[in-house]
Amino acid sequence: MTVQNATSTIPYSEAPKASVWKRIWQQDAPGYLFLLPWFIGFFGLTLGPMISSLYLSFNHFDLLTAPRWAGVDNYVRMFTNDPKFAASMRVTMFFVVFSVPLKLAFALGVALLLNRGMKGLTLYRSLFYLPSLLGASVAIAILWRQIFAADGLVNKFLSIFGIIGPSWISNPNYSLWTLIVLSIWQFGSPMIIFLAGLRQIPQDMYEAASLDGASKWRQFWKITLPLLTPVVFFNAIIQTIEAFKSFTPAFIISGGTGNPINSTLFYTLYLYQEAFGFFRMGYASALAWVLLALVAVFTAFSFLTSKYWVHYDD
Amino acid sequence: MSITLSRRHFLASSAAALAVGASGVLPAWAQNANLRLIFWGGQARADRTYGVVDLFTAEHPDVAIEGEFLGWADYWPKVATQTAGGNQPDIIQMDYRYIGEYARRGSLAPLDSYVGAGLDISSFDQDQLRNGTIDGKLIGVSLGVAAGATVFNSKVLGDAGVDIDPMRWTYDDLLTHGPKVWEATGGATAMAPDGSGIELLFENWLRQKGKALYADGKPAFTPEDVTEWFELWAALREAKAIISPDEQAIDTGQLETAPLVRGKSAMNFTTSNQLVAYQTLVPDPLGIAIYPATSADSKGGHYRNSSQYFALSASSAAPEKAIEFINFFVNTPAAATLLGVERGVPASSAMRDAVAASLDERGQMVVKYIADLGEIAGDVPPTPPASAGEIEVALKTKSQEVAFGAQSPADAGPAFYDQVIQTLGRTS
Amino acid sequence: MTDAPMKLTVVGAETPIWRKRLTSVVSHGLLISASILMLYPLLWMLAASFRPENEIFTSASIIPSSWSLDAYFRGWHGLRTSFSVFFTNSFIVSIFSVIGNVFACSLAAFAFARLEFRGRKIWFALMLMTLMLPYQVTLIPQYVLFRQLGWVDTFLPLIVPKFLAADAFFIFLMVQFFRGIPRELDEAAMMDGAGPWRIYWKIMLPLSTPVLATAAIFTFIWTWDDFFGPLIYLNKMSDYTVMLGLRTFTDSTGMSDYGGLFAMSVLSIVPIFLFFLIFQRLLIEGIATTGMKR
Repeated sequence: MTVQNATSTIPYSEAPKASVWKRIWQQDAPGYLFLLPWFIGFFGLTLGPMISSLYLSFNHFDLLTAPRWAGVDNYVRMFTNDPKFAASMRVTMFFVVFSVPLKLAFALGVALLLNRGMKGLTLYRSLFYLPSLLGASVAIAILWRQIFAADGLVNKFLSIFGIIGPSWISNPNYSLWTLIVLSIWQFGSPMIIFLAGLRQIPQDMYEAASLDGASKWRQFWKITLPLLTPVVFFNAIIQTIEAFKSFTPAFIISGGTGNPINSTLFYTLYLYQEAFGFFRMGYASALAWVLLALVAVFTAFSFLTSKYWVHYDD
Repeated sequence: MSITLSRRHFLASSAAALAVGASGVLPAWAQNANLRLIFWGGQARADRTYGVVDLFTAEHPDVAIEGEFLGWADYWPKVATQTAGGNQPDIIQMDYRYIGEYARRGSLAPLDSYVGAGLDISSFDQDQLRNGTIDGKLIGVSLGVAAGATVFNSKVLGDAGVDIDPMRWTYDDLLTHGPKVWEATGGATAMAPDGSGIELLFENWLRQKGKALYADGKPAFTPEDVTEWFELWAALREAKAIISPDEQAIDTGQLETAPLVRGKSAMNFTTSNQLVAYQTLVPDPLGIAIYPATSADSKGGHYRNSSQYFALSASSAAPEKAIEFINFFVNTPAAATLLGVERGVPASSAMRDAVAASLDERGQMVVKYIADLGEIAGDVPPTPPASAGEIEVALKTKSQEVAFGAQSPADAGPAFYDQVIQTLGRTS
Repeated sequence: MTDAPMKLTVVGAETPIWRKRLTSVVSHGLLISASILMLYPLLWMLAASFRPENEIFTSASIIPSSWSLDAYFRGWHGLRTSFSVFFTNSFIVSIFSVIGNVFACSLAAFAFARLEFRGRKIWFALMLMTLMLPYQVTLIPQYVLFRQLGWVDTFLPLIVPKFLAADAFFIFLMVQFFRGIPRELDEAAMMDGAGPWRIYWKIMLPLSTPVLATAAIFTFIWTWDDFFGPLIYLNKMSDYTVMLGLRTFTDSTGMSDYGGLFAMSVLSIVPIFLFFLIFQRLLIEGIATTGMKR
């Protein structure tokens, strides 16, 4: 996260001559006390399983018998002798690169539109959020076939113009795109977060700006966007992490296969097949930690650059 | 068996009642055997299964059975997690592919010691027992006989003027009659789906050629066989006897994605126990036939598989009671009548007779199909090697590569064969 | 909801009426057509819940040939355990999750956003890291852990982690919003002798209604929609949640009740949609409407 200079935070230690313990109590204790529930959860529930999976990634583990030490075998195999690893990485990268910006742009656009105080705002907001309510329900897979199959809704629409479309959902050239569309269709969560962010921008700033004769366009660039950057930053990071880990859409729509021709074999879907389909939890754990390393590098990079474009009020 | 148990239960509870007599409270542990049962299936299967559970517990008030059922896709991760987490249910429904994986890793108990001592398999078909035997030990009790079968839409075929002999039809028939269906429906429906990625069908075809999928943990076919297989389907695709690759790829294994259900093909290559399920989703009457033969008098491709098994957890705390339930499930006429042929035709000849009278038309068709298969069927293959599940997935993917034109049959044969060798050689 | 945007009309007063009307018509037109596009799949599902079973996958029309409520009655009692049980379970799990998440995550977020203590950045980085590991590989170790605690087959594995801020998403979300609240406010309060707890309770929380409402909405909906946790940790049908019940309708290998699936899918959306409708009012409160002047 961005560097905060000490003066801008609450200086709880105001007695420089106090003993070390008193200083710790005054300076560090409040933070740790507020974090207490999180600490209990982190050390009690989260950390152990994470370390276990890291350990298992250096083992052959078939779920049913004891793990056998494998050294770095799993990692070596991944990078030297596993075409499906490479294929699933390509699919996931493609998905991340296209779905994240499109979904965010869509969510921000609609949020801005809905923040203009027009009539029926509540209604539209609810309607636009409805698709996200469905989550990963089995019904989604069936719905998506109704839309993107050869005789689906999309092709019925195209046929008006005399175009005969392919079966989008099952053609290896397009199937990944139908999942990208699904991801964009469920843009409700980032939209709500953008809306909440927009509502936090003090109205008086706009009033002052418009009295100065600033155009709407200028107001957007000079007020809205800068003040919204913490939320944009959050949405970008979270959506990217989620896209890298994306599992359920491909799982329900391809029936867990990642087909046609592995064109929807998302990284975590491959990982899941290895773990639960083919009894290779050790290898799956190695796959998971490689993903974590990749996402962590991306996130760290984003935090490093964030100080140049994310504006906090503190 | 049940009498002794009841008596023991009686003694135990009397002793317990004496021990806490003064307080007059019945101890909760008087109901001493709590069995957990897990199976995959839909609601229809659950209703029948729980019906049998109720019958059993009515006769055995000392046993409480807690049943749990899930869809196929959710079932395996849950069973794997429970097993790995040391919390396996006592009775686990198993599939022919997974039973080897679990048995070889010691999480299922061998049943040999219970045979004749709680478990009665005297009227079971020999091939059903062989199916449930892994590395010489009886692990799974077959819950139903099923065999590869083609389910077809009689109306669509009839309207197109196509008449096939259900027990003798061939790939040549498919090639000659296929285009008629395509024309009669104006290109809306093909005669058959693209079966090139269906492992059971590939195996059936290999067996008709005197080969097999696996022998001694190694592939029992050659790269040339694979090429020939893909070429066969390429010719059918060319002739519009089967559906397009686009349409085939929609089929992800769920029933509602099958081309037959979506009206895209007049057939589906599946297993005999699925007929009833397909019928609920297709308005036209369905019939049942063999997988296409390579020639009209070809034999040995089919075999009587077990659609599923009950297996006993190696960590069960009450194995005798669990066996008692399994035995009740497969050997009681009342249970058999309730179960019908939903899981397949009963493996015990006595139960087949008991069931016969109560079956509806589709159920009777399935029983007749299994019986008629008599002369055509060959021996059951050995339990597939570990990693066979991965190869099944690989065949589907490879078939799509060929169908979409990403690889020629000539290249796909050796490529698939290499993949099989590599996969079989890999440690988990 | 209406008073804040009204202030924007100061600008609007200068634009001609016809242009305003046109903009409004175009905006509504766009929004309505977008809504239809968004909603078509849901309408299809609604229609499917009313039509005859063997027509669901074969009929091209969205209008059923005949209407029936059969699937609703069939679906409600279809799984041996009635859906009223599943709905109750989902409510219990979701409501507790909302309480836990809002409380525990806001505490942690306040510490990360406003307090200075040693190791803060390291803990923050570790917290983010917990977001990055796919759950598939921690599932079994976690199952073993919960089993040792004796929590398997209860709601505890689904609820307790929420009270321990295990979902880093919400901490991070709240941190971002807390940092947007003007720091002069806490500094002023501190001058008056307020400690961190009072600043958290009296300043941060009241000014953060939008983000707290967002967290409540998401927690409720995501917990409601989650099936993997319940799938793994709940064994008894009487403990199943709605989503798990819905999954049980379909089995790829046998007969499935699709009508029942769609009917219950429709009903399953109703509570989360209502929750959304109620809580979205809070989304639009906050600095903007509480009249905070800087």
